[in-house]
Amino acid sequence: MRVQDFSGKNLDRIMAEINYDISLLYVVPCIYTRNLILNHLIDRISMVESVAVAMSQTVQPQILPLQPGVTPIADPPALMQPMAPGTQATFTLQELSRFDGKGGNPAYVAVNGIVYDVTNNATWAAATHFGLTAGKNLTNEFASCHAGQPILSKLRAVGKLETM
Amino acid sequence: MNTSNGSITCPEYKARLNTAASLVETVKTQIRQDVLRKRNLVWLELTGCSGNIISLLDGSNPDFKYLISQMTHFIYNNSLLASEGQNAMEQLFSIPGSDYILAVEGAVATKNNGLYNIIGRLNGKWITALEAVKTLGEKAAHVIAIGACATHGGVSAARPNPAKCVSVQSVLNRKVIKLPGCPCHPDWFMGTIAHILLYGQPELDSRDRPLLFYSTLIHDRCPRRSYFDKGIFAEKLGDKTCMFKLGCRGPVTRIDCPIRQWNQYVNWPIEDDTPCIGCAQFGFPDAMEPFISYNITRGVKK
Repeated sequence: MRVQDFSGKNLDRIMAEINYDISLLYVVPCIYTRNLILNHLIDRISMVESVAVAMSQTVQPQILPLQPGVTPIADPPALMQPMAPGTQATFTLQELSRFDGKGGNPAYVAVNGIVYDVTNNATWAAATHFGLTAGKNLTNEFASCHAGQPILSKLRAVGKLETM
Repeated sequence: MNTSNGSITCPEYKARLNTAASLVETVKTQIRQDVLRKRNLVWLELTGCSGNIISLLDGSNPDFKYLISQMTHFIYNNSLLASEGQNAMEQLFSIPGSDYILAVEGAVATKNNGLYNIIGRLNGKWITALEAVKTLGEKAAHVIAIGACATHGGVSAARPNPAKCVSVQSVLNRKVIKLPGCPCHPDWFMGTIAHILLYGQPELDSRDRPLLFYSTLIHDRCPRRSYFDKGIFAEKLGDKTCMFKLGCRGPVTRIDCPIRQWNQYVNWPIEDDTPCIGCAQFGFPDAMEPFISYNITRGVKK
C-alpha cells in the first residue's frame, strides 16, 4: 500500500481489523484457526508498519521497501546480491534477465517501469507464475490479469527499468 | 477441539470434511421418506481420459452404486452403460424434453466442426461430442463440468492442442457449474449433486466453482505452512519442509485437498512429499508448469 492510498478511512479499517483479530484470538480454541488469524494480524501490522516507514522517508514511495506480511521474514543470501532496499537501482532488460530465479539468483520482474522482487512471493513458486518466468518485463501480462488489484503495493520494489 | 488419540482435530475442519457426506446423508433420508425425488443424471464423456468417472467409482461417501441406484436415475455413461451402439445413442437422445442434470467430463474438440471426437452413431449419422454437448447442454436443468478438461480445456487443450479443445462453457450459452481438478474428487461431485437435489444450485464463486469445496487456498491450510512463513524450504523431494522453492502450486490453487485428502481420505500429494501441481486451478497443466524445479532461487535453510 502506498502512502497516497493510505487515507484515514483505510487506516480506520485496518485498525478495526487488527482489533477484531485480537478479540477473536481470545475466544478461538482451535490452533489452526488461531494460526490463520495470527497470519492475518501479521499482514495487517506490516501494512501499518510499511506506511510508517514510507512516511518517515522522503524518497519516492514506489520504490520503498514494502514488506508483505506473508513473505518469509528472513531474506536469504543470494549469489547475485539482491538490491538493497531503496537503492533506486536501474536495470536494463538484459540486466533484469539475470534475475531469473535460477542458479541461486533472486527472482525479479518489472511492471510499469518498476522492478519488483518476487523471490519469496508465494505465487511465484520456482520463480514461475502461471506460465510466466522471472527476469522479464511483464507489464502487459500484469495488466491483462491483475488490472485494478492491489498487488504491486505489496511487493518489494528494488529499482527501475531503464527506458530506451 | 478434540484431542482424542493425542492428535488435535479442529471442529471446523472436521465439519468441512463431512460436508459432502452430510449432504448425501440428508438426500438418502429424504428419498427414503419420499420427500425428495430422484432426478435423471446423464454423464457425457468427451475428449479426456475417463479419469473423472474412475475417480467417482472410488467414491465412498456414498459409493458409486448408491449414486446410480438410490440418488439418481443414471441414464447414460459411455464407459458403464449396458447398452451399446444404436441402442445406447437412442437412450441418450431420448433424454431432452425430460428433467435431467448433465454431467460432462472431457473437453470439447472443435476442429473441423468437432470431427476429432465422434461419440457414437445415431441412425447411421455420426454424432460429434460438440453436437452432443450443445444439444444436451442447452436443455439440461443443470450442467456440471467435471475435471480440468471440461472446466477449462485442461490436458486436452494443452499446447499444441491439435483437436482445438475448449471448455464446456465455451460452447454453451448458459451457467455451467465447474468442478476443476485432475481428476475431480468424488466428494466434490457427490456433494454438488446432493446440494442440487436438496436445495438447487450451490453457491458459486466468480468462476462458477462451488464455495463448499473451492473457497480456500491449499497454501492457507497446508500443514507445512509454518515452514513457508519461517523461510525453511525443501531442496529435494522427500524433505519434510515447504516445497515452495521446488515449484509447489498450493499458493495459487483453491481447493480443500489438505483436509479432505484422496483415495477415501487416506493421503494427498504434499503429505506424500510431492509438491502440489495445481491440478484444480484454471490453466492446468500449461500454466502450472514446471511441476518440479531444482534450479532454484537461493534461500534454503539447512
